Amino acid sequence: MLLAKVRTLLAVHFAYMLEYRAEIFFWILGGLAPFFFMAAWSEAARQGYTPYSPLEYARYFFAVFVARQLAIVWANWTFSDWVRSGKLSFYLLQPLDPMWRLLADHLGERGVRFPVLAVIGAVFAALFPGALVWPGWGALALGLAASALAFLLSFFVAYSVGLLAFWLEDATEIFELWYVLVLFFSGMLAPLSLYPEAVQRVLLWTPFPHLVYLPASYWSGLEPADARGFAVLLVWTLVFFAVTRLLWRLGRRRYSAMGA
Amino acid sequence: MAAPAVLAEQLSKTFLVAEKDPGFAGTLRHFVRRRYRRIEAVRGVSFEIAPGEVVGFLGPNGAGKTTTLKMLTGLVQPTSGRARVLGRDPYRREAALLRNLTLVMGNKQQLIWDLPVLDTLRVNAAVYEIPWAEAERRTAELAELLEIEGVLRQPVRKLSLGERMKAELLASLLHRPRVLFLDEPTLGLDVNAQLAVRRFLKAYRERYGATLLLTSHYMADIEALAERVIVIHEGRLLYDGPLGGLVERFAPFKEVRLVLARPAAAATFARYGEVEEAGGLRVRLLVEKERLTAVVAELLANFELRDLSVDEPPLEEVIGRVFAKGAV
Repeated sequence: MLLAKVRTLLAVHFAYMLEYRAEIFFWILGGLAPFFFMAAWSEAARQGYTPYSPLEYARYFFAVFVARQLAIVWANWTFSDWVRSGKLSFYLLQPLDPMWRLLADHLGERGVRFPVLAVIGAVFAALFPGALVWPGWGALALGLAASALAFLLSFFVAYSVGLLAFWLEDATEIFELWYVLVLFFSGMLAPLSLYPEAVQRVLLWTPFPHLVYLPASYWSGLEPADARGFAVLLVWTLVFFAVTRLLWRLGRRRYSAMGA
Repeated sequence: MAAPAVLAEQLSKTFLVAEKDPGFAGTLRHFVRRRYRRIEAVRGVSFEIAPGEVVGFLGPNGAGKTTTLKMLTGLVQPTSGRARVLGRDPYRREAALLRNLTLVMGNKQQLIWDLPVLDTLRVNAAVYEIPWAEAERRTAELAELLEIEGVLRQPVRKLSLGERMKAELLASLLHRPRVLFLDEPTLGLDVNAQLAVRRFLKAYRERYGATLLLTSHYMADIEALAERVIVIHEGRLLYDGPLGGLVERFAPFKEVRLVLARPAAAATFARYGEVEEAGGLRVRLLVEKERLTAVVAELLANFELRDLSVDEPPLEEVIGRVFAKGAV
Protein backbone atom coordinates (compact mmCIF):
# COMPACT_ATOMS: atom_id res chain seq x y z
CA MET A 1 0.00 0.00 0.00
CA LEU A 2 2.87 2.36 0.83
CA LEU A 3 4.28 1.61 -2.61
CA ALA A 4 0.98 2.61 -4.24
CA LYS A 5 0.99 5.86 -2.27
CA VAL A 6 4.58 6.63 -3.25
CA ARG A 7 3.86 5.78 -6.90
CA THR A 8 0.90 8.19 -7.03
CA LEU A 9 2.80 10.89 -5.15
CA LEU A 10 5.70 10.52 -7.60
CA ALA A 11 3.42 10.78 -10.64
CA VAL A 12 1.62 13.85 -9.32
CA HIS A 13 4.79 15.57 -8.12
CA PHE A 14 6.42 14.88 -11.48
CA ALA A 15 3.45 16.60 -13.15
CA TYR A 16 3.75 19.45 -10.65
CA MET A 17 7.47 19.88 -11.28
CA LEU A 18 6.90 19.76 -15.01
CA GLU A 19 4.91 22.98 -14.55
CA TYR A 20 8.16 24.51 -13.26
CA ARG A 21 10.42 23.11 -16.01
CA ALA A 22 11.82 26.52 -16.98
CA GLU A 23 12.73 27.28 -13.37
CA ILE A 24 14.41 23.89 -13.02
CA PHE A 25 16.39 24.50 -16.23
CA PHE A 26 17.78 27.75 -14.86
CA TRP A 27 18.42 26.09 -11.52
CA ILE A 28 20.55 23.48 -13.28
CA LEU A 29 22.46 26.24 -15.08
CA GLY A 30 23.14 27.74 -11.66
CA GLY A 31 24.91 24.48 -10.74
CA LEU A 32 27.54 24.71 -13.47
CA ALA A 33 30.27 25.77 -10.97
CA PRO A 34 32.24 22.48 -11.35
CA PHE A 35 32.91 23.43 -14.98
CA PHE A 36 34.63 26.64 -13.84
CA PHE A 37 36.84 24.62 -11.49
CA MET A 38 37.44 22.26 -14.39
CA ALA A 39 38.69 25.16 -16.54
CA ALA A 40 41.07 26.33 -13.78
CA TRP A 41 42.50 22.86 -13.10
CA SER A 42 42.80 22.04 -16.79
CA GLU A 43 44.86 25.18 -17.28
CA ALA A 44 47.07 24.20 -14.32
CA ALA A 45 47.45 20.75 -15.91
CA ARG A 46 48.47 22.29 -19.23
CA GLN A 47 51.21 24.18 -17.39
CA GLY A 48 52.33 20.92 -15.78
CA TYR A 49 51.48 21.76 -12.15
CA THR A 50 49.20 18.79 -11.42
CA PRO A 51 49.34 15.01 -11.80
CA TYR A 52 46.27 14.69 -14.07
CA SER A 53 45.74 15.62 -17.71
CA PRO A 54 43.17 18.26 -18.87
CA LEU A 55 41.02 15.46 -20.29
CA GLU A 56 41.04 13.62 -16.94
CA TYR A 57 39.97 16.81 -15.20
CA ALA A 58 37.16 17.27 -17.73
CA ARG A 59 35.98 13.69 -17.06
CA TYR A 60 36.23 14.15 -13.29
CA PHE A 61 34.44 17.48 -13.07
CA PHE A 62 31.63 16.31 -15.35
CA ALA A 63 31.13 13.41 -12.93
CA VAL A 64 31.21 15.92 -10.04
CA PHE A 65 28.57 18.01 -11.80
CA VAL A 66 26.26 15.00 -12.26
CA ALA A 67 26.81 13.80 -8.67
CA ARG A 68 25.91 17.26 -7.36
CA GLN A 69 22.83 17.51 -9.56
CA LEU A 70 21.52 14.17 -8.33
CA ALA A 71 21.96 15.16 -4.68
CA ILE A 72 20.34 18.61 -4.81
CA VAL A 73 17.77 19.05 -2.02
CA TRP A 74 15.48 21.80 -0.79
CA ALA A 75 13.60 20.03 2.00
CA ASN A 76 14.83 22.71 4.42
CA TRP A 77 13.06 25.44 2.48
CA THR A 78 9.84 23.53 1.73
CA PHE A 79 9.31 22.15 5.21
CA SER A 80 10.06 25.49 6.85
CA ASP A 81 7.47 27.05 4.54
CA TRP A 82 4.91 24.39 5.49
CA VAL A 83 5.40 25.18 9.18
CA ARG A 84 5.38 28.95 8.81
CA SER A 85 2.39 29.10 6.48
CA GLY A 86 0.39 26.44 8.32
CA LYS A 87 0.25 24.23 5.23
CA LEU A 88 1.62 21.41 7.33
CA SER A 89 -1.82 21.20 8.97
CA PHE A 90 -3.32 19.53 5.90
CA TYR A 91 -0.59 16.93 5.83
CA LEU A 92 -0.98 16.27 9.56
CA LEU A 93 -4.64 15.50 8.97
CA GLN A 94 -3.82 12.70 6.57
CA PRO A 95 -2.63 9.19 7.42
CA LEU A 96 0.76 9.63 5.77
CA ASP A 97 3.94 11.00 7.28
CA PRO A 98 4.60 14.40 5.59
CA MET A 99 8.17 13.26 4.99
CA TRP A 100 6.94 11.04 2.15
CA ARG A 101 5.43 14.03 0.36
CA LEU A 102 8.68 15.88 0.73
CA LEU A 103 10.60 12.92 -0.65
CA ALA A 104 8.18 12.55 -3.56
CA ASP A 105 8.62 16.26 -4.28
CA HIS A 106 12.37 15.71 -4.71
CA LEU A 107 12.13 12.45 -6.65
CA GLY A 108 9.46 13.86 -8.98
CA GLU A 109 11.77 16.77 -9.73
CA ARG A 110 14.57 14.35 -10.63
CA GLY A 111 12.32 13.09 -13.42
CA VAL A 112 12.30 16.59 -14.93
CA ARG A 113 16.01 17.15 -14.24
CA PHE A 114 17.26 13.95 -15.94
CA PRO A 115 16.45 14.91 -19.55
CA VAL A 116 18.13 18.32 -19.10
CA LEU A 117 21.22 16.59 -17.68
CA ALA A 118 21.27 14.28 -20.68
CA VAL A 119 21.27 17.29 -23.03
CA ILE A 120 24.08 18.96 -21.06
CA GLY A 121 26.00 15.65 -21.22
CA ALA A 122 25.60 15.52 -25.01
CA VAL A 123 26.80 19.13 -25.38
CA PHE A 124 29.75 18.42 -23.06
CA ALA A 125 30.73 15.32 -25.05
CA ALA A 126 30.67 17.38 -28.25
CA LEU A 127 32.78 20.17 -26.75
CA PHE A 128 35.33 17.84 -25.11
CA PRO A 129 35.78 14.83 -27.39
CA GLY A 130 37.24 11.87 -25.53
CA ALA A 131 36.46 13.32 -22.10
CA LEU A 132 33.50 11.05 -21.44
CA VAL A 133 34.27 7.35 -21.41
CA TRP A 134 32.01 4.43 -20.55
CA PRO A 135 32.85 3.50 -16.94
CA GLY A 136 31.39 -0.02 -17.25
CA TRP A 137 28.10 -1.30 -15.84
CA GLY A 138 29.54 -2.13 -12.44
CA ALA A 139 31.15 1.27 -11.85
CA LEU A 140 28.06 3.03 -13.20
CA ALA A 141 25.78 1.11 -10.83
CA LEU A 142 28.08 1.61 -7.83
CA GLY A 143 28.31 5.34 -8.61
CA LEU A 144 24.54 5.56 -8.84
CA ALA A 145 24.17 3.68 -5.56
CA ALA A 146 26.62 6.09 -3.89
CA SER A 147 24.74 8.98 -5.44
CA ALA A 148 21.39 7.66 -4.16
CA LEU A 149 22.82 7.37 -0.64
CA ALA A 150 24.33 10.85 -0.96
CA PHE A 151 20.91 12.18 -1.95
CA LEU A 152 19.23 10.48 1.02
CA LEU A 153 21.80 11.86 3.45
CA SER A 154 21.52 15.38 2.00
CA PHE A 155 17.73 15.05 2.17
CA PHE A 156 17.75 14.11 5.85
CA VAL A 157 20.21 16.91 6.69
CA ALA A 158 18.03 19.47 4.85
CA TYR A 159 14.87 18.04 6.43
CA SER A 160 16.49 18.32 9.89
CA VAL A 161 17.21 21.98 9.18
CA GLY A 162 13.62 22.47 7.96
CA LEU A 163 12.31 20.87 11.17
CA LEU A 164 14.08 23.60 13.16
CA ALA A 165 11.29 25.89 11.92
CA PHE A 166 9.28 24.51 14.86
CA TRP A 167 11.69 26.46 17.09
CA LEU A 168 13.20 29.21 14.95
CA GLU A 169 11.48 31.78 12.80
CA ASP A 170 13.64 31.03 9.79
CA ALA A 171 16.18 28.25 9.91
CA THR A 172 16.54 27.54 6.21
CA GLU A 173 19.86 29.37 5.85
CA ILE A 174 21.55 27.06 8.37
CA PHE A 175 21.71 24.64 5.47
CA GLU A 176 24.16 27.03 3.77
CA LEU A 177 26.73 25.94 6.34
CA TRP A 178 26.30 22.36 5.14
CA TYR A 179 26.73 23.56 1.57
CA VAL A 180 29.99 25.38 2.41
CA LEU A 181 31.39 22.19 3.99
CA VAL A 182 30.29 20.21 0.93
CA LEU A 183 31.97 22.76 -1.34
CA PHE A 184 35.34 22.49 0.41
CA PHE A 185 35.45 18.85 1.47
CA SER A 186 33.46 16.87 -1.06
CA GLY A 187 35.81 17.08 -4.00
CA MET A 188 33.88 19.81 -5.77
CA LEU A 189 36.81 22.27 -5.74
CA ALA A 190 39.48 19.73 -6.55
CA PRO A 191 40.00 15.97 -6.52
CA LEU A 192 40.51 14.96 -2.89
CA SER A 193 43.65 13.03 -3.86
CA LEU A 194 45.29 16.48 -4.18
CA TYR A 195 44.50 17.31 -0.52
CA PRO A 196 47.17 16.69 2.19
CA GLU A 197 47.08 13.09 3.40
CA ALA A 198 46.26 14.03 7.00
CA VAL A 199 43.21 15.97 5.80
CA GLN A 200 42.16 13.04 3.62
CA ARG A 201 42.39 10.68 6.60
CA VAL A 202 40.16 12.89 8.75
CA LEU A 203 37.70 13.56 5.94
CA LEU A 204 37.19 9.85 5.38
CA TRP A 205 35.05 9.70 8.55
CA THR A 206 32.94 12.69 7.60
CA PRO A 207 30.12 12.38 5.08
CA PHE A 208 31.46 15.08 2.75
CA PRO A 209 33.89 13.28 0.44
CA HIS A 210 31.42 10.44 -0.09
CA LEU A 211 28.69 12.79 -1.24
CA VAL A 212 30.51 13.76 -4.44
CA TYR A 213 33.97 12.26 -4.62
CA LEU A 214 32.79 8.67 -4.17
CA PRO A 215 30.30 8.59 -7.09
CA ALA A 216 32.60 10.81 -9.17
CA SER A 217 35.49 8.38 -8.61
CA TYR A 218 33.38 5.44 -9.82
CA TRP A 219 32.24 7.31 -12.92
CA SER A 220 35.50 9.07 -13.85
CA GLY A 221 37.97 6.40 -12.79
CA LEU A 222 40.38 9.19 -11.83
CA GLU A 223 41.36 7.39 -8.61
CA PRO A 224 40.17 4.03 -7.29
CA ALA A 225 36.92 4.58 -5.38
CA ASP A 226 37.09 3.84 -1.67
CA ALA A 227 34.17 1.49 -0.97
CA ARG A 228 34.41 2.25 2.75
CA GLY A 229 32.57 5.43 1.78
CA PHE A 230 29.33 3.42 1.50
CA ALA A 231 29.53 2.42 5.15
CA VAL A 232 30.34 5.99 6.24
CA LEU A 233 27.47 7.36 4.15
CA LEU A 234 25.07 4.76 5.50
CA VAL A 235 25.97 5.51 9.12
CA TRP A 236 25.57 9.28 8.64
CA THR A 237 22.29 8.73 6.79
CA LEU A 238 20.96 6.67 9.70
CA VAL A 239 22.17 9.28 12.19
CA PHE A 240 20.39 12.11 10.40
CA PHE A 241 17.30 9.97 9.86
CA ALA A 242 17.19 9.48 13.64
CA VAL A 243 17.68 13.23 14.10
CA THR A 244 14.68 13.96 11.83
CA ARG A 245 12.50 11.53 13.81
CA LEU A 246 13.53 13.12 17.10
CA LEU A 247 13.03 16.68 15.87
CA TRP A 248 9.66 15.70 14.39
CA ARG A 249 8.45 14.24 17.69
CA LEU A 250 9.67 17.19 19.77
CA GLY A 251 8.78 19.85 17.23
CA ARG A 252 5.18 18.76 16.71
CA ARG A 253 4.47 19.69 20.33
CA ARG A 254 5.46 23.25 19.49
CA TYR A 255 3.44 23.47 16.29
CA SER A 256 0.76 26.10 16.58
CA ALA A 257 -0.67 25.65 13.07
CA MET A 258 -0.47 29.40 12.55
CA GLY A 259 -2.15 30.71 9.49
CA ALA A 260 -4.34 27.65 9.43
CA MET B 1 -26.40 6.54 25.27
CA ALA B 2 -23.90 6.24 22.41
CA ALA B 3 -20.31 7.28 23.08
CA PRO B 4 -19.74 10.88 21.99
CA ALA B 5 -18.23 11.42 18.55
CA VAL B 6 -16.38 14.44 19.89
CA LEU B 7 -15.33 15.07 23.47
CA ALA B 8 -13.58 18.10 24.92
CA GLU B 9 -12.77 17.83 28.61
CA GLN B 10 -11.35 20.90 30.34
CA LEU B 11 -9.47 21.65 27.13
CA SER B 12 -6.93 24.48 27.46
CA LYS B 13 -4.22 25.89 25.25
CA THR B 14 -1.68 28.54 26.15
CA PHE B 15 0.67 30.02 23.55
CA LEU B 16 3.91 31.87 24.28
CA VAL B 17 4.18 34.76 21.85
CA ALA B 18 7.30 36.94 21.47
CA GLU B 19 6.62 40.66 21.72
CA LYS B 20 8.70 43.39 20.16
CA ASP B 21 8.48 47.18 20.42
CA PRO B 22 8.68 49.11 17.16
CA GLY B 23 11.80 51.03 16.08
CA PHE B 24 15.56 50.44 16.31
CA ALA B 25 15.70 50.43 20.13
CA GLY B 26 12.84 47.94 20.22
CA THR B 27 14.68 45.73 17.74
CA LEU B 28 17.87 45.81 19.84
CA ARG B 29 15.99 45.01 23.05
CA HIS B 30 14.20 42.19 21.24
CA PHE B 31 17.54 40.80 20.06
CA VAL B 32 19.25 40.98 23.48
CA ARG B 33 16.39 40.01 25.73
CA ARG B 34 13.33 38.50 24.14
CA ARG B 35 10.05 39.19 25.91
CA TYR B 36 7.21 36.70 25.77
CA ARG B 37 3.55 36.99 26.53
CA ARG B 38 1.36 34.05 27.52
CA ILE B 39 -1.84 33.93 25.56
CA GLU B 40 -4.50 31.69 27.01
CA ALA B 41 -6.33 30.94 23.78
CA VAL B 42 -8.64 28.29 25.26
CA ARG B 43 -9.43 27.95 28.97
CA GLY B 44 -11.04 24.80 30.31
CA VAL B 45 -13.60 24.22 27.57
CA SER B 46 -15.75 21.10 27.93
CA PHE B 47 -18.47 19.70 25.68
CA GLU B 48 -19.64 16.51 24.03
CA ILE B 49 -21.08 16.01 20.57
CA ALA B 50 -23.15 12.94 19.83
CA PRO B 51 -22.72 10.97 16.59
CA GLY B 52 -24.72 12.58 13.77
CA GLU B 53 -25.16 15.86 15.60
CA VAL B 54 -24.54 19.23 13.88
CA VAL B 55 -23.21 21.89 16.21
CA GLY B 56 -22.52 25.52 15.45
CA PHE B 57 -19.40 26.85 17.14
CA LEU B 58 -19.64 30.58 17.67
CA GLY B 59 -17.40 33.27 19.02
CA PRO B 60 -15.85 36.56 17.93
CA ASN B 61 -12.41 36.69 16.30
CA GLY B 62 -9.76 35.47 18.75
CA ALA B 63 -12.30 33.68 20.95
CA GLY B 64 -10.47 30.36 20.65
CA LYS B 65 -12.71 28.59 18.13
CA THR B 66 -9.98 27.72 15.66
CA THR B 67 -7.54 26.71 18.41
CA THR B 68 -10.20 24.37 19.81
CA LEU B 69 -10.70 22.87 16.35
CA LYS B 70 -6.94 22.46 15.99
CA MET B 71 -6.81 20.55 19.27
CA LEU B 72 -9.78 18.38 18.29
CA THR B 73 -8.14 17.52 14.97
CA GLY B 74 -4.75 16.78 16.56
CA LEU B 75 -2.90 19.66 14.91
CA VAL B 76 -1.86 21.18 18.20
CA GLN B 77 -1.31 19.55 21.56
CA PRO B 78 -3.56 20.80 24.38
CA THR B 79 -1.70 22.46 27.27
CA SER B 80 -4.10 20.62 29.56
CA GLY B 81 -7.36 18.73 29.35
CA ARG B 82 -8.44 15.91 27.09
CA ALA B 83 -9.65 15.74 23.51
CA ARG B 84 -11.22 12.61 22.04
CA VAL B 85 -12.69 12.06 18.60
CA LEU B 86 -14.42 8.71 18.00
CA GLY B 87 -12.85 7.62 21.27
CA ARG B 88 -9.26 8.34 20.17
CA ASP B 89 -6.71 10.98 21.06
CA PRO B 90 -6.39 13.05 17.86
CA TYR B 91 -2.86 14.24 18.69
CA ARG B 92 -1.59 10.67 18.26
CA ARG B 93 -2.58 10.77 14.56
CA GLU B 94 -3.70 7.15 14.47
CA ALA B 95 -4.57 6.16 10.91
CA ALA B 96 -7.89 4.66 12.05
CA LEU B 97 -8.98 8.09 13.28
CA LEU B 98 -7.45 10.17 10.49
CA ARG B 99 -9.40 8.09 7.96
CA ASN B 100 -12.58 9.21 9.68
CA LEU B 101 -12.14 12.91 10.23
CA THR B 102 -11.53 16.02 8.22
CA LEU B 103 -10.97 19.70 8.76
CA VAL B 104 -12.07 22.20 6.14
CA MET B 105 -10.62 25.67 6.48
CA GLY B 106 -12.25 28.43 4.48
CA ASN B 107 -9.08 30.50 4.47
CA LYS B 108 -6.68 27.70 3.52
CA GLN B 109 -6.56 25.09 0.84
CA GLN B 110 -4.99 21.72 0.31
CA LEU B 111 -5.53 21.68 -3.46
CA ILE B 112 -2.34 21.63 -5.54
CA TRP B 113 -2.36 25.11 -7.03
CA ASP B 114 -0.89 24.49 -10.47
CA LEU B 115 -2.53 21.14 -11.23
CA PRO B 116 -6.12 20.12 -11.97
CA VAL B 117 -8.37 19.24 -9.02
CA LEU B 118 -8.29 15.60 -10.14
CA ASP B 119 -4.57 15.39 -9.31
CA THR B 120 -5.20 16.37 -5.68
CA LEU B 121 -8.00 13.80 -5.63
CA ARG B 122 -5.62 11.12 -6.97
CA VAL B 123 -3.16 11.88 -4.17
CA ASN B 124 -5.90 11.82 -1.55
CA ALA B 125 -7.31 8.55 -2.90
CA ALA B 126 -3.84 6.98 -2.61
CA VAL B 127 -3.18 8.45 0.83
CA TYR B 128 -6.52 7.18 2.17
CA GLU B 129 -6.07 3.86 0.34
CA ILE B 130 -9.22 4.21 -1.74
CA PRO B 131 -9.03 2.18 -4.99
CA TRP B 132 -9.14 4.63 -7.91
CA ALA B 133 -12.33 3.13 -9.39
CA GLU B 134 -14.09 3.72 -6.07
CA ALA B 135 -12.54 7.19 -5.77
CA GLU B 136 -13.87 8.03 -9.24
CA ARG B 137 -17.35 6.90 -8.22
CA ARG B 138 -17.21 9.04 -5.06
CA THR B 139 -15.81 11.98 -7.01
CA ALA B 140 -18.70 11.80 -9.47
CA GLU B 141 -21.23 11.62 -6.64
CA LEU B 142 -19.77 14.52 -4.64
CA ALA B 143 -19.09 16.63 -7.73
CA GLU B 144 -22.72 16.26 -8.74
CA LEU B 145 -23.91 17.35 -5.29
CA LEU B 146 -21.52 20.30 -5.42
CA GLU B 147 -22.27 21.05 -9.08
CA ILE B 148 -18.61 21.19 -10.12
CA GLU B 149 -18.42 18.27 -12.56
CA GLY B 150 -17.15 20.61 -15.28
CA VAL B 151 -14.11 22.04 -13.50
CA LEU B 152 -12.27 19.00 -12.17
CA ARG B 153 -9.82 18.95 -15.09
CA GLN B 154 -8.94 22.64 -14.80
CA PRO B 155 -5.86 23.86 -12.90
CA VAL B 156 -6.87 25.02 -9.44
CA ARG B 157 -5.44 28.49 -10.07
CA LYS B 158 -8.00 29.00 -12.86
CA LEU B 159 -11.02 28.32 -10.62
CA SER B 160 -13.24 30.95 -9.04
CA LEU B 161 -13.26 31.25 -5.25
CA GLY B 162 -16.60 29.44 -5.06
CA GLU B 163 -15.42 26.61 -7.31
CA ARG B 164 -12.22 26.30 -5.30
CA MET B 165 -14.12 26.02 -2.03
CA LYS B 166 -16.39 23.37 -3.48
CA ALA B 167 -13.38 21.47 -4.84
CA GLU B 168 -11.75 21.82 -1.43
CA LEU B 169 -14.82 20.24 0.16
CA LEU B 170 -14.69 17.44 -2.39
CA ALA B 171 -11.01 16.77 -1.63
CA SER B 172 -11.66 16.87 2.12
CA LEU B 173 -14.58 14.44 1.93
CA LEU B 174 -13.34 11.93 -0.63
CA HIS B 175 -12.49 9.51 2.18
CA ARG B 176 -16.04 9.88 3.59
CA PRO B 177 -15.11 11.06 7.06
CA ARG B 178 -17.61 10.52 9.87
CA VAL B 179 -16.57 13.64 11.75
CA LEU B 180 -16.28 16.99 9.97
CA PHE B 181 -14.70 20.08 11.49
CA LEU B 182 -15.52 23.10 9.37
CA ASP B 183 -13.82 26.41 10.02
CA GLU B 184 -15.57 29.18 8.10
CA PRO B 185 -16.37 27.01 5.07
CA THR B 186 -18.32 29.79 3.34
CA LEU B 187 -15.82 32.58 3.99
CA GLY B 188 -15.77 35.11 1.15
CA LEU B 189 -18.28 33.23 -1.00
CA ASP B 190 -21.17 34.95 -2.75
CA VAL B 191 -24.73 34.22 -1.64
CA ASN B 192 -25.34 31.52 -4.26
CA ALA B 193 -22.12 29.70 -3.43
CA GLN B 194 -22.91 29.94 0.30
CA LEU B 195 -26.31 28.38 -0.34
CA ALA B 196 -24.77 25.60 -2.43
CA VAL B 197 -22.22 24.77 0.29
CA ARG B 198 -24.96 24.70 2.95
CA ARG B 199 -27.15 22.45 0.80
CA PHE B 200 -24.21 20.17 0.20
CA LEU B 201 -23.26 19.86 3.88
CA LYS B 202 -26.86 19.10 4.75
CA ALA B 203 -27.07 16.41 2.07
CA TYR B 204 -23.73 14.89 3.10
CA ARG B 205 -24.78 14.74 6.73
CA GLU B 206 -28.13 13.14 5.88
CA ARG B 207 -26.55 10.61 3.53
CA TYR B 208 -23.68 9.50 5.78
CA GLY B 209 -24.91 10.38 9.27
CA ALA B 210 -21.81 12.50 9.80
CA THR B 211 -21.08 14.62 12.85
CA LEU B 212 -20.39 18.30 12.14
CA LEU B 213 -18.79 21.03 14.23
CA LEU B 214 -19.00 24.23 12.27
CA THR B 215 -17.71 27.74 12.84
CA SER B 216 -18.99 30.59 10.72
CA HIS B 217 -19.44 34.31 10.86
CA TYR B 218 -22.49 33.93 8.65
CA MET B 219 -25.39 33.23 10.97
CA ALA B 220 -27.34 31.90 8.01
CA ASP B 221 -24.90 28.95 7.93
CA ILE B 222 -25.56 28.20 11.58
CA GLU B 223 -29.31 28.66 11.28
CA ALA B 224 -29.49 26.43 8.21
CA LEU B 225 -27.38 23.60 9.59
CA ALA B 226 -27.16 23.55 13.37
CA GLU B 227 -29.76 22.88 16.00
CA ARG B 228 -27.29 23.27 18.82
CA VAL B 229 -24.70 25.98 19.33
CA ILE B 230 -21.65 26.32 21.51
CA VAL B 231 -20.55 29.87 22.18
CA ILE B 232 -17.07 30.70 23.41
CA HIS B 233 -15.60 34.06 24.26
CA GLU B 234 -12.04 34.83 25.37
CA GLY B 235 -11.34 31.11 25.49
CA ARG B 236 -14.20 30.27 27.85
CA LEU B 237 -17.45 28.48 27.13
CA LEU B 238 -20.38 30.88 27.40
CA TYR B 239 -23.28 28.84 26.17
CA ASP B 240 -24.00 25.30 25.05
CA GLY B 241 -27.54 24.46 24.07
CA PRO B 242 -30.25 24.72 21.46
CA LEU B 243 -30.09 27.58 18.97
CA GLY B 244 -33.56 28.76 20.05
CA GLY B 245 -32.42 28.79 23.66
CA LEU B 246 -29.65 31.20 22.78
CA VAL B 247 -32.21 33.75 21.59
CA GLU B 248 -34.39 33.10 24.68
CA ARG B 249 -31.49 33.52 27.02
CA PHE B 250 -29.62 36.42 25.51
CA ALA B 251 -32.37 38.33 23.75
CA PRO B 252 -35.27 39.07 26.07
CA PHE B 253 -36.64 41.38 23.40
CA LYS B 254 -38.50 41.33 20.11
CA GLU B 255 -37.86 43.25 16.98
CA VAL B 256 -40.65 45.64 15.97
CA ARG B 257 -40.60 47.00 12.42
CA LEU B 258 -42.75 49.94 11.39
CA VAL B 259 -43.48 51.61 8.08
CA LEU B 260 -44.80 55.12 8.82
CA ALA B 261 -47.25 57.09 6.71
CA ARG B 262 -45.30 60.30 7.49
CA PRO B 263 -41.65 60.64 8.58
CA ALA B 264 -41.00 61.14 12.29
CA ALA B 265 -37.85 62.09 14.26
CA ALA B 266 -35.80 59.17 15.64
CA ALA B 267 -35.94 60.62 19.15
CA THR B 268 -39.72 60.16 19.17
CA PHE B 269 -39.30 56.39 19.42
CA ALA B 270 -36.73 56.25 22.22
CA ARG B 271 -39.36 55.77 24.91
CA TYR B 272 -40.70 52.60 23.23
CA GLY B 273 -37.44 50.65 23.13
CA GLU B 274 -33.97 50.56 21.69
CA VAL B 275 -33.98 52.38 18.36
CA GLU B 276 -31.98 50.37 15.82
CA GLU B 277 -33.07 52.27 12.73
CA ALA B 278 -35.18 55.42 12.32
CA GLY B 279 -35.21 58.82 10.65
CA GLY B 280 -37.29 58.14 7.55
CA LEU B 281 -40.42 56.12 7.00
CA ARG B 282 -38.87 52.91 8.25
CA VAL B 283 -38.27 52.31 11.95
CA ARG B 284 -36.74 49.29 13.69
CA LEU B 285 -37.04 48.92 17.44
CA LEU B 286 -35.94 46.31 19.98
CA VAL B 287 -38.66 46.09 22.60
CA GLU B 288 -38.52 44.13 25.87
CA LYS B 289 -40.84 41.14 25.71
CA GLU B 290 -42.82 42.16 28.86
CA ARG B 291 -43.63 45.54 27.40
CA LEU B 292 -44.38 44.33 23.88
CA THR B 293 -48.19 44.37 24.00
CA ALA B 294 -48.35 47.80 25.62
CA VAL B 295 -45.77 49.26 23.23
CA VAL B 296 -47.55 47.94 20.13
CA ALA B 297 -50.84 49.38 21.38
CA GLU B 298 -49.22 52.77 21.99
CA LEU B 299 -47.54 52.80 18.58
CA LEU B 300 -50.87 52.04 16.88
CA ALA B 301 -52.55 54.78 18.87
CA ASN B 302 -49.86 57.46 18.43
CA PHE B 303 -48.72 57.00 14.80
CA GLU B 304 -50.33 56.56 11.45
CA LEU B 305 -48.77 53.27 10.30
CA ARG B 306 -48.71 51.60 6.91
CA ASP B 307 -47.26 48.40 8.34
CA LEU B 308 -46.19 46.88 11.65
CA SER B 309 -44.46 43.54 12.16
CA VAL B 310 -43.07 41.80 15.22
CA ASP B 311 -40.32 39.21 14.92
CA GLU B 312 -37.42 37.54 16.73
CA PRO B 313 -34.32 39.76 16.50
CA PRO B 314 -31.72 38.68 13.92
CA LEU B 315 -29.32 36.06 15.29
CA GLU B 316 -26.33 38.28 14.45
CA GLU B 317 -27.68 40.86 16.86
CA VAL B 318 -28.21 38.30 19.61
CA ILE B 319 -24.70 36.93 19.18
CA GLY B 320 -23.29 40.46 19.12
CA ARG B 321 -24.94 41.13 22.46
CA VAL B 322 -23.63 37.89 23.92
CA PHE B 323 -20.09 38.83 22.95
CA ALA B 324 -20.49 42.42 24.14
CA LYS B 325 -21.78 41.14 27.46
CA GLY B 326 -18.94 38.60 27.63
CA ALA B 327 -20.55 36.49 30.35
CA VAL B 328 -23.62 34.41 30.99
